[in-house]
Amino acid sequence: MLTEREIIATLEMLRSENLDVRTVTLGVSLFDCASDDAGRFIDRVRAKITRLAGNLVDACDEVGLVYGIPIVNKRISVSPIAVAAGGLSAEQMCAVAEGLDEVAGRLRCDFLGGFSALVEKGFSNGDRALIEAIPEALARTGRICSSVNVASTAAGINMDAVALMGRTVRLAAARTADRDGIGCAKLVVFANIPQDVPFMAGAYLGVGEPDAVINVGVSGPGVVKKAIDRARAADPGLDLGGISETIKRTAFKVTRVGELIGRRVADRLGVPFGVVDLSLAPTPTPGDSVGEIFQSLGLESIGSPGSTAVLAMLNDAVKKGGIFASSHVGGLSGAFIPVSEDLSIAAAARSGRLTIEKLEAMTSVCSVGLDMVAIPGDTPAETIAAVIADEMAIGVVNGKSTAARLIPVPGKKAGDRVSFGGLLGDATIIGLPGGGGSAGFIALGGRIPAPVHSFKN
Amino acid sequence: MSTTVVFVLGPDRPGIIATVAQTLYEQGCNLEDVSQTCLQRQFVGIFVVASDGQDRGEGLLRALRGRLDPSGLSVHLRSVPAAGVPPESAGEPFVITTVGPDRPGLVAGISGLLARYNANITNLKAVPRGAGAGQEYVTFYEVDVPAGTDRQAFRAALRERARELGLDVNLQHREIFEQVHRI
Repeated sequence: MLTEREIIATLEMLRSENLDVRTVTLGVSLFDCASDDAGRFIDRVRAKITRLAGNLVDACDEVGLVYGIPIVNKRISVSPIAVAAGGLSAEQMCAVAEGLDEVAGRLRCDFLGGFSALVEKGFSNGDRALIEAIPEALARTGRICSSVNVASTAAGINMDAVALMGRTVRLAAARTADRDGIGCAKLVVFANIPQDVPFMAGAYLGVGEPDAVINVGVSGPGVVKKAIDRARAADPGLDLGGISETIKRTAFKVTRVGELIGRRVADRLGVPFGVVDLSLAPTPTPGDSVGEIFQSLGLESIGSPGSTAVLAMLNDAVKKGGIFASSHVGGLSGAFIPVSEDLSIAAAARSGRLTIEKLEAMTSVCSVGLDMVAIPGDTPAETIAAVIADEMAIGVVNGKSTAARLIPVPGKKAGDRVSFGGLLGDATIIGLPGGGGSAGFIALGGRIPAPVHSFKN
Repeated sequence: MSTTVVFVLGPDRPGIIATVAQTLYEQGCNLEDVSQTCLQRQFVGIFVVASDGQDRGEGLLRALRGRLDPSGLSVHLRSVPAAGVPPESAGEPFVITTVGPDRPGLVAGISGLLARYNANITNLKAVPRGAGAGQEYVTFYEVDVPAGTDRQAFRAALRERARELGLDVNLQHREIFEQVHRI
């Protein structure tokens, strides 16, 4: 018999705190589709994805109904196309992207990730072709997401790749200039990319993963904020140790929801369950904001001094609760701070309280990086590359994932507004003080060696 | 207004709450509080009801007994024991939660529908939320929905019935509540 408290607490999480399963992502390996003939490769890919994911949306909808938990997005991640289609040219890679986009649309999936390359130590021919194809592929498709891993703690930072990605980001923005450079919202540059991320734009299926697998991304910043507010109202003397405990317990509950939903969807599809990625991922909906959590913890705004400390505590408490709740935690698992996708963070950027420097500092203690940051459209490729390099250094040295999803919005300058629509939200373009002075450094190229793994200070 | 405590005891089966609630409703009684439990396949229900100022003791007892006696259920206005028979097979455990302002006939309306689908109520509890004019009741029914039930039709019928009664309704598999709160 359930208790009254158990039922009402669960109901509240759903009714007024925006608890949902943000994404169920089906990973599909494409290595057995390999061919030197682009048409044959695309046909095999279409057939395999249709076979495995044909019932994905219906299965998610059914499980969501049975448990009364909305599954907001149904997505697919595939093997890195640069490897699976390594023999193809850039133009053929674009055709692959269009084929993937067609099948994702036909199966009613929101996004398909894996138009990806792993180049932290160097480029293969497939990697070069894929990166060359990215701007065109993202312009021609609506559902395809792309990621490029340019650095790792074990390999260091491939600065040639960083420079190339600076140019690629510029090209992706230019190729979608009529839509405020939205191509860049589907392109993320990573250090230490996890192989099992269910969240976009970084989702892909790693080479060590099974043939098919269900990974789940749960969110719940609104649930965490309300839990903190309730705990502080009940005990005005509650200190940060107690608040951290509250966050941990809440993360536990949210993760349990994700684990249950993921396992039931996996059962219905007859594929193994992989991981729960417990990340506080906001949406541009009131009450579904990571930024508002900072206000619940006594800061005037995210970006105020103290923000890095708050984020460090939040990220850690979320991980601790999530790890205890799930048999397999993976992906990014932490707090996201995507500027345009969070009303409170976007407002902080608009008011000037949140600067690019503070954002970068905060990414040293959370699970992603400079995410959905709109920057002036005339930012030189070398400056974009240098910002990426700084972000990669944070991830490599700290042994964590970091990423950069930067959008140089064509024709717009610092302070201008831009609207990407839907989950991607609205943003004010953030200035890059000192931008333009990094070209000499980026031109050096080569690889920054892997850091030492002892003598940590 | 007078308050009467009605005890119903006997072998559990689908439809007991529906019969009692419907009879109370027809007798002009407002259900103010209710609790039921099942132990060793025995149903015990306690209904706190208010009537419209008349002493309905004898008449109410006769009406309830008339409907419940044939099923082997005992009715008392204070307390009494009973006997038991095996219940029907369990099915899938769900939790139905309704939220809305109190008025007579809510439990009768929902439980009547559950009885029609042969869904057995295994636990029922109503708790008030808020105060004054804005007060609403959260009522939850733990139910076993028989295997083979057309869940889509059941869900649609439940939603429609709740809409008629002015209630928000949720139907969720019980597992979600256990997973979220228990280690």
